[in-house]
Amino acid sequence: MTTPSLKPSDLQRLGATFFKLLIVVAIVLLGLEFLIHRHGVVGAEESFMFPAIFGFVAFLFIVQIGKWLRLIIMRKEDYYD
Amino acid sequence: MISHLPPGLIMIIAAIFLPFIPHFSRQIFMLAAIAFSAYGLFLGAGTHLVWNVLGFDLILYKADSLSLPFAIIFHLAAALNVIYSWHDRDWEQHCAALSYGGAAIAALHAGDLVSLFVWWEATAITSVFLILASGTERARKAAMRYLLFQVTSGVLLLAGAAVIASKTGDIRFTQMQLGNSATWLIFIAFGIKAAFPFLNGWLQDSYPEATPTGTVALSAFTTKLAIYALARGFPGTDALIWIGAAMTALPVFFAVIENDLRRVLAFSLNNQLGFMVVAVGVGTELAINGAVAHAFVHIIYKALLFMSMGAVLHQVGTIKASELGGLYKKMPFTMVCCVIGAMSISAFPLFSGFVAKSLTMSALGETGIVWAYFVLLFASAGVLEHSGIKIPYFAFFAHDSKIETTEAPIGMRIAMGIAAFLCVGIGVFPSFLYAILPYAIDYHPYDAGHVTSQMQLLIFATLAFAVLIRLRLYPPEVPSVVLNSDWFYRRLAPLVGIPILRFITAVWRVLLFQIRSFTIGIWDMFDQVMHSPLAGPTVCGKAVLIQVSLLALIFLILS
Repeated sequence: MTTPSLKPSDLQRLGATFFKLLIVVAIVLLGLEFLIHRHGVVGAEESFMFPAIFGFVAFLFIVQIGKWLRLIIMRKEDYYD
Repeated sequence: MISHLPPGLIMIIAAIFLPFIPHFSRQIFMLAAIAFSAYGLFLGAGTHLVWNVLGFDLILYKADSLSLPFAIIFHLAAALNVIYSWHDRDWEQHCAALSYGGAAIAALHAGDLVSLFVWWEATAITSVFLILASGTERARKAAMRYLLFQVTSGVLLLAGAAVIASKTGDIRFTQMQLGNSATWLIFIAFGIKAAFPFLNGWLQDSYPEATPTGTVALSAFTTKLAIYALARGFPGTDALIWIGAAMTALPVFFAVIENDLRRVLAFSLNNQLGFMVVAVGVGTELAINGAVAHAFVHIIYKALLFMSMGAVLHQVGTIKASELGGLYKKMPFTMVCCVIGAMSISAFPLFSGFVAKSLTMSALGETGIVWAYFVLLFASAGVLEHSGIKIPYFAFFAHDSKIETTEAPIGMRIAMGIAAFLCVGIGVFPSFLYAILPYAIDYHPYDAGHVTSQMQLLIFATLAFAVLIRLRLYPPEVPSVVLNSDWFYRRLAPLVGIPILRFITAVWRVLLFQIRSFTIGIWDMFDQVMHSPLAGPTVCGKAVLIQVSLLALIFLILS
């Protein structure tokens, strides 16, 4: 059975569509923030777009720490061989 | 009568016959054995089989509301694994997987510490063959390290049980309090299998070395058996909140830089166990429900993720992120199943992770332990990073790896399809899951505020990823090894230990030489004295010496 071939532009188009979709959902969530009262365990959690900011910053933090950790705990593939 | 046998035991007995059954019939036979074992669960709660040995009551079959949900999901996982490995004609692996699942199920129904120990060790001995089955030198070494940790866990459990038996004479497996040597031994035994921080190296070391089908079986039983044991033995133990919080957060940083996607999932497994451990540490009815619900759904979505990566490995021959990419058109069904697993573990609303994790987060929120709550919230973003995005992205999208392949075998696809269906089914209809939890529950996860909070967290974290990709700031995957806690015994211990051993050996040799020289010197001295007597030749010098020594000894004793 033959499988569909992948054109170089396919992945870029897919990525661009996904990014646009994310922006749309993010805007919807921003709109909902004015309509829905979110409950939080602590007061700060109920502040404006707190989970969104927390998630965005946490993600960047993880990737950045990962970059630094590469220098410390990353070794060549044959390290244990 | 058959229903009075401990569930799981039938699966172990059935495993003995597998080498003698031809391939297709073997798979049917295994499913029948699992069904028979599950039939035993209908006996309901209570103590159904006790065996008195040497004055101790070994409770071989005890069921209650805590063991039931674990027993259901263990049977389901065993069945899924049979379907997933349908293409595999290697009876050894089927034998190992069926008896491993059976041992884990039997352990759930052990009502005393000695029976628990027997099944605890049985899970280790049976499962190691799933790693060995890879047939590589790397796998063999990893299997030995795995076995070392698993058997150590069993020995600690037995030691704790022995101390309790000698002190109280009561070996029933009930709730315990940390505070004496016995309970600490048992706690550490459970902690090894639950992959506590610094005791976790065996997990990330060995699971990714197993066969594609073997890793699926491994991901289901051992660690969740440990969570069950902690939930029964140590609910409400404060230390577990600290330990669990560390387990949720630390693996996130390792997973983000790991190149082997099955090893990423092993780190992710560790992170998920952390959520359950925190819930057990909180210990309230809602929290225990959270731990059990999380274990239940986790077994399904983690198996689904391991199945999808196993399917890629089976078809392509590698699972390294640096070598994969662009497979979404070649393996579209596997990709969809992987994305469903990824969305479930990330706890998107309408997926199983959301309805389970919400219980733990709510229970933790009620305690007012704010720091732990925020650690778990941070870890939730971490889960999204490594399991929600990294796994499907690098395998199926990222860049075109030019790999030519086709979809996985039909058995693999059916198993993935069932698991994906369950992930969505439980997410949409959580009441089915809530109905089998240990405590009655009236919980509604689909509250507008809760759903928007979770969506904000996940969507904006995904947006961060998309921005990093578009700006080319997301680090590329590179062929590498990430050092984990196993480094301490794989590198540090030999690095420090071998020079110390060499030094001790050298000192020992010098000491032996000195002692030998000293004794030779004494004999030479006596020979010299006896061969050059002051009063002419008498008897042999050494004979005189021995006689004099004996006389002196007798004199000393008598005086």
